[in-house]
Order: sequence, then C-alpha cells, then structure tokens
Amino acid sequence: MRSSIFNGQALAIIKKDIAAIVSNRRMFLALLIVPLVLTVIVPTVFLLILHFVPEETADFQKLLELMPIESQPREMPKTLINLLLNYFLPIFFLIIPVMAASVMAASSFVGEKEKRTLETLLYGPLSLKEIFYAKVMASFLLSMAVSVLSFAAMLLVLEIESGLLLGFLAAPKVTWLLIMLLVSPAISLIAVTLIVRFSAKAQSIEDAQQSAIFLLLPILLLLVGQFTGVLLLSGWLLLALGLVCAAAAALLLKRSLHRFQYETLLQ
Amino acid sequence: MNAVTLDHLSKTYPGGRQAVDSVSLTLEPGEVFGFLGPNGAGKTTTVKLLNGMLTPTRGSLRVFGLDPAAAPEKVHALSGVVTEHAQMYDHLTGLDNLIFYGALFGLDIPESRRRGQKLLAQMELSDAENVKLAAYSTGMRQRLSLARALLHRPSILFLDEPTSGLDPESAQKVHAMIRRLAAEQGCTVFLCTHQLRYAQEICTRYGLMEEGRLLAQGTLESLQARVGSGITLKLRLSSLPAFLEKRAVSLGEHLFALPIRTENEIPELVRQIAADGKDIFHVQAELPTLEDIYFALTNRPKETL
Ligand SMILES: Nc1ncnc2c1ncn2[C@@H]1O[C@H](COP(=O)(O)OP(=O)(O)OP(=O)(O)O)[C@@H](O)[C@H]1O
Ligand SMILES: [Mg+2]
Repeated sequence: MRSSIFNGQALAIIKKDIAAIVSNRRMFLALLIVPLVLTVIVPTVFLLILHFVPEETADFQKLLELMPIESQPREMPKTLINLLLNYFLPIFFLIIPVMAASVMAASSFVGEKEKRTLETLLYGPLSLKEIFYAKVMASFLLSMAVSVLSFAAMLLVLEIESGLLLGFLAAPKVTWLLIMLLVSPAISLIAVTLIVRFSAKAQSIEDAQQSAIFLLLPILLLLVGQFTGVLLLSGWLLLALGLVCAAAAALLLKRSLHRFQYETLLQ
Repeated sequence: MNAVTLDHLSKTYPGGRQAVDSVSLTLEPGEVFGFLGPNGAGKTTTVKLLNGMLTPTRGSLRVFGLDPAAAPEKVHALSGVVTEHAQMYDHLTGLDNLIFYGALFGLDIPESRRRGQKLLAQMELSDAENVKLAAYSTGMRQRLSLARALLHRPSILFLDEPTSGLDPESAQKVHAMIRRLAAEQGCTVFLCTHQLRYAQEICTRYGLMEEGRLLAQGTLESLQARVGSGITLKLRLSSLPAFLEKRAVSLGEHLFALPIRTENEIPELVRQIAADGKDIFHVQAELPTLEDIYFALTNRPKETL
C-alpha cells in the first residue's frame, strides 16, 4: 500500500485540492490571516510594550517568579523575550495547523459531493483507501506549509525587532524542533483525519464543519492545555507526549482507511 | 473473454426497493449494447453495479473477467463512465479538467494534453478548451464528459443517458461520435437510454428492461422475429383492389397499410394490384421499430416511454 500512496495518481488529487484552495484568493487570505496575526502581531505588540513602557515589566516580574525559570533582574527583557519565544508562542503551533487544515479537510469529500464531482473521482482507478489517503495528505501538507511559513515569519520578525529595539537576539530552544517536527504534525494529522472522516459522512459542507467544531474543539483545547503544562516541565516529557500523539495519528489514519465503501460515500 | 457477464444479478436497495431482478446477459468485446427501458427500469443501478459503486444483493457479474464488487479500481482502470452524476470541476478549464483526469489515470501532463486536445477537437470543443467549465452549456459538458471517459483509452464505455438534456441536433452529434468511436477504437459500449429511436441508430444489440427485469435481448432482427409482427406495407393507390379489402387498413385518402410476413410477398402483390388496373404511387415496407417491439412486449401505451 505504502508504495502506491505517493504514486502520481494520488499526487494528482493532492495537487488539484491544494491548487483549488490557493487559487481561491479570498479563501487563501482567510487561511493565512489568523496564523500571521498570532505569530507576527502578538510578539510585536509584546516587544513594543517591553521597549516603550518598561515599567509594565514589573507585572511580568511576578509572573516570572511563578515560572520554573531562573532570572536576574538585570536580564529581565531578555528572559521575557525568551519566555515568549519558547513557552508561549509554541502553543500557537498546536492550533495553527489544525485551523489551517480544517476548512479544506471539511470540504474534502462533501465538497466534491456537492459539486457532483465525487462520483467522477470514484470512477478513477484509485482505490477508496488511496483517495482517502490523498484527501488527508492534501489538507495535512497545506497545514504544514502554513505552519512552517508562520514559523519563519515569526522568527524573522521577532529577531529583527528584538535586535533593533532591545539590542539582542532571542534564543530559540531545541524544543522548537520537537514542536515543529513531531508534536504539531501529529496533532494536525489527528485533526485532519477526523475532519476528513466527518466530511466523508456529511451531507453538506456546513454539516462537516459543525462536526469538526463541536467534536474536535474540546479535544484540541484539552491537548493544548496538556502541552502547555508539559512545555514548562521537561523536553523529555514533551518528546514522549509527541510520540504518543504521532502513534495515535498513525493508528487513526490506518483504521480510517478501511472504513469507507462507495455505497456509503454516495448516499 | 466476455466484455460483460451478468449472471442472475439482483439488487435490492436498503429501503427494500428491488431495482434489478435476476438479470442475466453477456456482451462480446466491441459490441455496442443498448440497455433500454423507461424511468426506474434499473438501468443506472445496473451501471453502478458494473462499476462497483453498489454491491449486488444476489447473483454475480464480471467486467473483462474482473469482479467489480471485489476489485472496483481494476474495473475503473479499463472503463470509461459517463453519467449525469459524474460532473467535472467548474473552476477549471475544459483542457485542465482533462489533464487532471489524465493524471488520475496515470498519464503524464504532455500526454494528457495531447490526447485531451485531440479529443476536444473530435468533440468540437477546441474553441472552448481554455474556457472554464462554469461557462459550458449542458451539451458542451456532455461532450466533455465523453472526452474524459475516452482519455485513458478504455476497453469499455458505460454511457448512462449520454444525451439527456440535449437538443435533437446535439444528441445526433453525440450519437454519431459514439458510433464512430466504437468503430475506430473497437471499444465495447454499454449504452443506457430511454430514447429507443436514437438507440436504434447506433447499437448492434439490445436488452429491454422493465421494472428491474430483462424482457428480451438480441439484435434488432432477432427481436423483430420474436415479436413476430412482421412487416407493414404502406401503399398509396388510386383505389383499393377488391382482393385486399379484408386484409388492408385504410390510413387516409388513397393510403393503405397492409401487414405481410416477409419481403418476398411484395413483388407478387404489386403485380396483382397493377393487374387489377389500379395506379400505384407509393410502396414502402416498414419493419417494426424498437419502439414497436418494446410496446409489443410490454403492452404499454406509447406515451410512457
Ligand atoms: N439509492 C436508492 N435508494 C433506493 N431506491 C433507489 C435508489 N436509486 C434508485 N432507486 C430505485 O430503483 C429503481 C431503479 O432506479 P434506476 O435509477 O436504476 O432506474 P433507471 O432505469 O436508471 O431510470 P431513469 O431512466 O429514470 O434514469 C427505481 O425505482 C428507483 O426509485
Ligand atoms: Mg438512470
């Protein structure tokens, strides 16, 4: 199965789905705007406060005392920036990929059904498994692209602003690697797989979106809460939790591949 | 190997509606088979069974030896399907649609483009190849669907009402294309329609369906022989000779219809009428059409088809 998964035929579906989103300018902008606000505007505001109203940092001092982080008062701005970068911003990267993928994933099957193109797709020489996999991969790859773009934009803006305004560079921790390469993709894959499943069963795009919001949002919030705590505790725990999520994602995807029949899809 | 084999195929929908009832038939490769019947006869259901979109309730079926219920993707690889419900992408142009479906069937882009442009020319859509589908008319969409179904050079075409919604002229064009393609590419065609008159123009063999059951199958000649209604001779004469008064039916002034059994009776009949001193203006032998046959088999009034 694996060898046929990334064959040209499945790739054709992935490309077609991504191109449809990207070529729809309004949709694409909507897709990018929230991630950019979260990762560029939020840190910028924080930095501007640090720079222009340093007296506000007294409040942060109290916050720092609650954190398991050592800091000298002289190093305050630096500690705060690194705190922002390494403990606060990563949380965004658990949410961004899911948000970025959800619109596309929700319409993956039911969108084609509404446009009456699903049957045509099913008459192609791909098995249902391969089509399902291609649909999941299209949304997943898009979510990862948005995630990486947001990360690059965030780091670039943060370092430039920090360098110019505060005179030093922020230091990203290695946990970022874990977040970007393991935790964030795993959570995204879980969410995308579930939403594509909703989409395959739904009768309308709104149907699929509602299922996605009401069933997925609580799970997502729970996960984000867990990771926020773990982020502060230890890198090893983060790695463990990330691996658990990745395993769960793989298992979920594998089991979902066997779930569908033409008859249920075309109902 | 047969192109299609249906063996006591039955399908009952979850709601309990039996749409196909123990249908058995075979298609030889290269045949243009007309699968005919009124609304609800079970034509679309049969096509969906043949493509694995539905699983049979009873009986079995094969497409070139493959079981569509077990290996639908293998059946899809060698079949092209045109149905009302299989549309393409409105936001893509005609050619881009074909390139996408070409890729889906494993063709590279230059090859898809080459084949696509050739088919678009054959379908008289070259002018619209760079127009988005949203601006296509129903007839253009139907012809593009036919191009899509042919792109991967299938061994069998399943056409479910390929001319529904088309004006007579466009329908004629599509039928001419189907006939030409079948002849040129040796492609087997399974054509579902309730337009018997059109079917008669392009099919080599027929299956007549009614409420899920196959009433009869065969060539036009064998079906004509089966209903046994023989030939109707249409005559325009100065007046009806006395020896025909019992056998002929008057259709109007000087116009008469005379049932005969074979064409061999015609020369002698004409000689007798002339010998009787009548003027003969017009003689036309009419074989029963598919419609006549269908109505003879079902005793349906003509309007129901
Ligand atoms: N999904 C379904 N669920 C339940 N019954 C169905 C379904 N699809 C079709 N039927 C029923 O099965 C019967 C055969 O339908 P089918 O669509 O095969 O007929 P058809 O010969 O294609 O008719 P038409 O000429 O109108 O297209 C009809 O009575 C129809 O109501
Ligand atoms: Mg039908």
